[in-house]
Amino acid sequence: MRQGTLIILTMRSLLNNPYRWLGLSLCVAGAVFSPLAFFIVTSVPLTAVGLSAIMLGFVCVALANARPYISPEACQLMLKTGMENTSALLEELNLRNKAVYLPSLMREGRPQALIPLLEDADLMHIKQKLPGRLIVRYGANPDDMAIAVTTAGSINIDLLENSPEPTSEGIEDAVNYILTGVLDIASAVHIISQDGLLRAEITGARLPYENVWYERCLGSPIASIVAAISSEALAKPVRIKEESQAKGKISVVIEVLA
Amino acid sequence: MRIYNRFIITLTLVAGFINALLAFMGQEDIQIFFVINLIAYMTITLLYVYFNPRARRALDGVSVVFFGAFLVIVAMKVVDIISRR
Repeated sequence: MRQGTLIILTMRSLLNNPYRWLGLSLCVAGAVFSPLAFFIVTSVPLTAVGLSAIMLGFVCVALANARPYISPEACQLMLKTGMENTSALLEELNLRNKAVYLPSLMREGRPQALIPLLEDADLMHIKQKLPGRLIVRYGANPDDMAIAVTTAGSINIDLLENSPEPTSEGIEDAVNYILTGVLDIASAVHIISQDGLLRAEITGARLPYENVWYERCLGSPIASIVAAISSEALAKPVRIKEESQAKGKISVVIEVLA
Repeated sequence: MRIYNRFIITLTLVAGFINALLAFMGQEDIQIFFVINLIAYMTITLLYVYFNPRARRALDGVSVVFFGAFLVIVAMKVVDIISRR
């Protein structure tokens, strides 16, 4: 009885992963087909087809083991929870200003976004390291106050294997690695540097821009990732100047401050 | 997991193309088929630079297995050449 349950559970875990299912099917089909083609049909090209199927099967099984531990639905739930909490804080404080993304060297270890309390705040010349608190003073005046929040982009910096190069190509490589390779939420990213601005074009984005309070301040999660990586690469504060979506492409314009 | 799907589809198309081309050219050595498929696999895997670290490690493991098979073929060829002398 217990063995039967164990077999059913094992089979269910195998079938739950489509890559593993495909990989095992290709391996079995290739292992059966190749000897038949070689010894009975005596056709080398057909044997090669069987060998290719076995190779593809190995690749699929390897990729099956590299899938994330938690489901995309669980990830979305956690992202939404964090966004709702930050959004509630912004609405309660009636903050509508664009956030400034600071590199980790200006915060205590992790890049964060700073939302100034004043609308016409001058954040162009922040140079000193700011304390790692929720409410921070960034200037000499008593009104130079802001709240510092952690965004999706801030966390993703930890996923980079190396620090990004301070060029548009280096930033493009790092953003591509995170968005297409690690998170799989976009198909391609192209970034150019022009007149002190970084223009990013993200194709195949699966987290579209929504015109809600949170995203008006901090940008969409994708723009936030681009801004955080740009800030970290250039070691300068940056701000999302514009964000728009058209024909399946998200365009983000990032202003480099200081 | 669209990047995984693209990778698998690319490998399938390239393997199909190589096998068809070699068959059309009248190639009858299975080792040639295997080695050229292996080179194509290694090249395509290297071109997909944006894989996450876990996928990269898993594919590196597969590459080691395939490369082991390649070394066996090379060793067999060397033994064959030496024994002919």
